[in-house]
Amino acid sequence: MERSFKKEIEALKLGEGETFRGEGILAVTKALLQSGVSYVGGYQGAPVSHLLDVLIEAEDIIGELGVHLETCTNEASAAAMLGASINYPLRGAVTWKSIVGTNVASDALSNLASPGVKGGALIIIGEDYGEGASVIQERSHAFAMKSSIWLLDPRPDLSVIVRLVEKGFELSEASHAPVMMELRIRACHVSGEFAAKNNVAPAHSKLNPIAGPPRFEYGRLAHPPATFAQERLKVEERLPAAQAFILAERLNESFPGEIGEIGLIVQGGLYNSLLRALARLGLADAFGATRVPIHVLNVVYPLVPEEVTAFAAGKRAVLVVEEGFPDYIEQQVNVILRRADITTRVFGKGCLPKAGEYNAEAMLGGIAAFLRETRPVGLDADATGAAADRLLGVKRDAAAAVGELPQRPPTFCTGCPERPVFSALKLMQRAIGPTHISADIGCHAFATFAPFSMGNSILGYGMSLASAAAVGPNLDRRPIAVMGDGGFWHNGIVTGVASNLFNKGDGVLVVMQNGYTSATGLQYMPSSAASRSGAAPGMNIEATLRSLGVRWLRKVRTYNVATMLKTLKEAMKTAERGLKVIIADGECQLARQRRLRSEEATKLARGERLVKARYGIDDEICTGDHSCIRLSGCPSLTVKPSPDPLRSDPVASVIESCVGCGLCGEVAHAAVLCPSFYRAETIRNPSRWDRALHRMRRRAIAWLGGAAEAA
Amino acid sequence: MSAARPLTLLIAALGGEGGGVLTNWIVEAAAATGLPVQSTSIPGVAQRTGATTYYIEIWPEPASALGGKRPVLSLVPGVGDVDMVVASELLEAGRVIAQGFVTPERTTIIASTHRIYAIAERMAMGDGRFDIGRLMKAIEEQAESHILFDMEASARGAQSVINAVMLGAIAGAGRLPIAAETFAAAIRAEGKAVEANLRGFAAGLAALQPGAPAPPIAEKRRRPATPSLAELEQAAAETMPEAALEVIREGLRRLAAYQDRRYARLYFDRLAAIREADTEAGAGGAVLRETARHLALRMSFEDVIRVAQAKIDPARFARIRRELRLGADEPLSIVDFYKPGIEELCSILPPLLARPILAWSARRGWLGKVYWGMTVKSNSVLGFLRLKLLASLRPWRPQSHRYREEQAQIEAWLALVAEAARRSASLALEIAECARLIKGYGETHARGLANFRKIETRLIRPALAGRYAAPTAMDAVAAARIAALADPEGERLDRTLAEIEERAPGKLAAE
Repeated sequence: MERSFKKEIEALKLGEGETFRGEGILAVTKALLQSGVSYVGGYQGAPVSHLLDVLIEAEDIIGELGVHLETCTNEASAAAMLGASINYPLRGAVTWKSIVGTNVASDALSNLASPGVKGGALIIIGEDYGEGASVIQERSHAFAMKSSIWLLDPRPDLSVIVRLVEKGFELSEASHAPVMMELRIRACHVSGEFAAKNNVAPAHSKLNPIAGPPRFEYGRLAHPPATFAQERLKVEERLPAAQAFILAERLNESFPGEIGEIGLIVQGGLYNSLLRALARLGLADAFGATRVPIHVLNVVYPLVPEEVTAFAAGKRAVLVVEEGFPDYIEQQVNVILRRADITTRVFGKGCLPKAGEYNAEAMLGGIAAFLRETRPVGLDADATGAAADRLLGVKRDAAAAVGELPQRPPTFCTGCPERPVFSALKLMQRAIGPTHISADIGCHAFATFAPFSMGNSILGYGMSLASAAAVGPNLDRRPIAVMGDGGFWHNGIVTGVASNLFNKGDGVLVVMQNGYTSATGLQYMPSSAASRSGAAPGMNIEATLRSLGVRWLRKVRTYNVATMLKTLKEAMKTAERGLKVIIADGECQLARQRRLRSEEATKLARGERLVKARYGIDDEICTGDHSCIRLSGCPSLTVKPSPDPLRSDPVASVIESCVGCGLCGEVAHAAVLCPSFYRAETIRNPSRWDRALHRMRRRAIAWLGGAAEAA
Repeated sequence: MSAARPLTLLIAALGGEGGGVLTNWIVEAAAATGLPVQSTSIPGVAQRTGATTYYIEIWPEPASALGGKRPVLSLVPGVGDVDMVVASELLEAGRVIAQGFVTPERTTIIASTHRIYAIAERMAMGDGRFDIGRLMKAIEEQAESHILFDMEASARGAQSVINAVMLGAIAGAGRLPIAAETFAAAIRAEGKAVEANLRGFAAGLAALQPGAPAPPIAEKRRRPATPSLAELEQAAAETMPEAALEVIREGLRRLAAYQDRRYARLYFDRLAAIREADTEAGAGGAVLRETARHLALRMSFEDVIRVAQAKIDPARFARIRRELRLGADEPLSIVDFYKPGIEELCSILPPLLARPILAWSARRGWLGKVYWGMTVKSNSVLGFLRLKLLASLRPWRPQSHRYREEQAQIEAWLALVAEAARRSASLALEIAECARLIKGYGETHARGLANFRKIETRLIRPALAGRYAAPTAMDAVAAARIAALADPEGERLDRTLAEIEERAPGKLAAE
């Protein structure tokens, strides 16, 4: 794993009377243990990876409590885990990144939600939305509504989040429905504190197993005719039960304000931003006192009609502050009020942006617009509007002063084994012409950014090959699908490879075998060289592909650009029909460097010989064309001012962060670049022979007319 | 209702620089001071060297003084609502400004002045670097106050990391109600690489003290005078305008080292014609200076002899040792990568031999396809010998095919500059500057030369023939040159040339 969680694990052990300090997602993890959860599972992905990462390292704690932990191969398998709560009074929690993870999980979720649950089932979803998000921008809300799963969106205060986790299980049990909790990126990473409670060992676990399966009960199956009854149960029993629970437990919060003719209804997760915007307009203070009444929905689905009508009654207008599209809450509030024959006007999208994250600017603009529309007594709407306009004008002026800045997208790490594959792909296309590149999710998606700018579509994790299925037959050149080993095991093996073979497809698949799901923080997966228990899981991509029936299969070390180029050309040109797979083999450099650092430190401490290689560029020879950078993009291959007094263009330069992966030399050769690259090898703790050779060389070169420093 | 508000901090960093650790230190220090504090971040995939931000809010009064009330702190920075912006790099400071988070009423900006170039800046075919002057001006104008220094250099000097230096600068800025010692204690409490981090912290603090030494600016590597050139340099000093003298002196020394004194003399003589044209055009030495600069570069074209010369230059080995911080006694092995093709081979043959080989290879489609890849250990005895042998071909160079080709091209280019100067000094300057396109090796060189020729035949020659007015021609040549450096495929250049021709006055249907 990318980082160690020793400190965080200590926080998971806290008990009654102690204060937990840490980030949001770890508070959730602690809350799960305080809730007596029997099993936890999930699939990693920012911003919720830490939940699983921490529990993996906290094996002693969860072992003691008897909690079963599963690091699932995808979100569907995680969602299906919750099936344990259908028949048994077991509390379970799973986690993933949404919207994408929920999409993958949706089949199991539907089949879970229909029969409903006995034990509390909680799904923690990292809502990857807005700034910093890495996926398509959609709302998980729709899944909750269509499957009758209740959706929590707690306000980003650790004590509220923790309470909602605990209450979430109770809500699930009280209404026999699964519950989702959505946490935005910043909420997952927010720091804070809450009063800890003791961890609770689950009533049933591997330490105290349930005796035997339950009596056969058809109603527990998501299978007709039970499904018809279940549909009615959802609406007629579970929904009212949930609404009653939400009301009774006061899961939502109302904050009164003196300007009672208007009000704000806000998703819990947005409360802090809303309050800050109000404070900046002089309508609230930093401690939550507000002049405009606010109703905070910590549960965004279902809404409780009594609560909404109670809040809106007597108000001329309410503003629904609801992020993302469609405006589900706004629609429901409208329906609830109309059904209750309450004429309060409902504002929402229109005052606020129709799409996009509700950041500080959106909030300021939205409130100002709402006040201008409603002009409540006791408040100068024009003045607040002008104040908001002034604040928003700051950005326009500042942006103009700076001008358009070069973007800085994420990229492959220094020495990444995947970069050389794209260097080869670029050279291949230069030689035989451009072709369709079907991209995928994972670090390799960084190739969509400069300098590679490669990829014609991304259809989801592990979907690259499948998404090229209809491209190949309609294109005059073979498409190339790029997939990571993470994506391969996540579902590419079935949706891509099996489907292609089954349909006797053609095309080229490049599988990046780096040994981890690297983009999410270096988690193990089925073909990793190790696992959380130590031993390798033992699954092998090459053997798997062969057993599936792939005949054209090559495994190439990624750093060998020339061989990769040759292999790619061969795959593109061969007359042989059928799927051609190239396994691009090279361990994730982040993981490798971490290992090497400690190994090398040990070697040096023991006085053992150690050869270190680094690349360099002769700035006298480089003329500043930067072809090398256009074929690499390595962070340690950059530019510096030319030391040549006659040249103005900057020259290429290799900086100290170089790990000596060898790509520079390979590209210089494969692409026939300039002769300015060199590899410098130094020897720490040199042997006597090393020193003797060095001395001999110095003497010989001095004799040949070079200066003695030459060698 | 209280009007009190939190102190807000926005940290802009690049993935992998330890922005998260820095944030933890600040949170720890604030908590240790008893202040309510909250941080958040959007790391996501930005861990992989992309731009990323961390946001911290600190309540300026101790929690104990709030009577049980807790402030609601925001997770997002607001436009115009940030007290302190800390950027680990200059462009990122600019990005935060562009987002509206820096305002003259409130914001102190603490930024490192070093640059980590973004990919678009690095991959440009010429100079794609963002204008630092513009960033500096924006910082001075937009921020209430600013603290700027090279934090990377400080970190290197202290054998530490940049986030520790940033913490030192934050502590030193004195805008937060947290004592410097409390920040240092936070580093100790975190418990990782404590000594190195404390060194960085101290360096950051020290950099804010008045009189802190400014880091040296990268120097240009000028060549020393040699006695053999004294006479020529004297002649230059007497006849050449002051504005161009420094460049010409550098050119003379460069060419004497590249070939010999006679070659430097040729350079001097070639410039005489340009000097006259410059004087006639009243350019004040500007045309001469730029032409002299490019002429020296063009005359020292990159052939295998020059590469061999540069690779065994003792100064080179010394430079590499310095960069690696390696003592003279420590073993070092330098491996160079060469991949010469038929053109490189022919470049050192006499024209009589080279021409038929090139023609024959071209017919067989070998040019640009057949290469010999080799790695040479330049400081092993055999490797050194091979390069030494190549470098020793220097006296032979004037007989080589490449030499003849280059001199013909140089003469033609100089004639264009001189002719243009008769019409307009600015046009002459633009044409001289086009020599910038011709650089590099192999394919890069071929591409640059082809681009130059395109501009020459489709724009410069028609312009000199009177097809375009001088100001139009000047703009057109500049536009074409920029276009030629826009993409290696030459798409933009073709488009630009077509547009210029489309707009050309006197475009006749018969043409």
